[in-house]
Amino acid sequence: MFVYEKQLQYPVKIKRPNAQLAKIIISQYGGPDGELGASLRYLSQRFTMPIQELKATLTDIGTEELNHLEMIGAIVYQLTKDLSEEEIKKNGFDAYFVDHTTGVYPASAAGVPFTAAYIQSKGDPITDLHEDLAAEQKARTTYDNILRFCDDYDVKDPIRFLRAREVVHYQRFGENLRILTDRLDSKNYYQFNPSFDKKCFKKK
Amino acid sequence: MTQREIMLKKIGTYKFVLKDLELYLDTHPKDEMALSKYAEYEALLKPMVKEFESRFGPLTVSSDNGNKFLWVKNPWPWDIEEDD
Repeated sequence: MFVYEKQLQYPVKIKRPNAQLAKIIISQYGGPDGELGASLRYLSQRFTMPIQELKATLTDIGTEELNHLEMIGAIVYQLTKDLSEEEIKKNGFDAYFVDHTTGVYPASAAGVPFTAAYIQSKGDPITDLHEDLAAEQKARTTYDNILRFCDDYDVKDPIRFLRAREVVHYQRFGENLRILTDRLDSKNYYQFNPSFDKKCFKKK
Repeated sequence: MTQREIMLKKIGTYKFVLKDLELYLDTHPKDEMALSKYAEYEALLKPMVKEFESRFGPLTVSSDNGNKFLWVKNPWPWDIEEDD
């Protein structure tokens, strides 16, 4: 069950609208390595996780990703607020505007709508954790790329916060992978699927 | 920043400490130092949330609103507040 908290995880208060930045930052809303994909990935993968640490971590990181989705939505909303038609055209925001006006829509910077094909839920915790580790690094690189184009502190500050969280999540997923393999037979971790083949865990 | 934003930022800072400790405790559930830090910050957060909610309205939906449903009240988290 989820309970909404009427507060962003980290404050977003952007004073100067900037359609050019909105156009690239939207990718972390609904793009290939964005926060929507991240939350759906973890919150879906958790159901078949075989041990409690993995269930807890995927639930809690998946939930934090929803906070991040909301922060990105707030950034895009504030960056496109009170824009004139001239500014929209000058900054190349007209292609987005014609389909969504200034509504926040899950798509990549290049305009590709969000698709579940960005994520996987493989039903094998070793495989899923490797996907999660890669996802955190891909998101981190995307934030690094966004920061290359940010010249406004009000935008940089929350983006830096989000970038740092990718690094922390990567660390937590790495620990989970170690916890899992520590409980498997080290002669061959890949002999079984730890979610499907129940007898693969070492006897305590 | 408005008075509301200053208080909310403090609450957010404590909530963030708890969130980060929560993720750590998921993989280290027996770490006593992290557990006591969690209790420490939770105790700091609670009275702050109480004070904020009595001044500015609820942060989570609840029936404890007096005679009005203050949950609906602006600003919502993505709204920009004008400085005092």
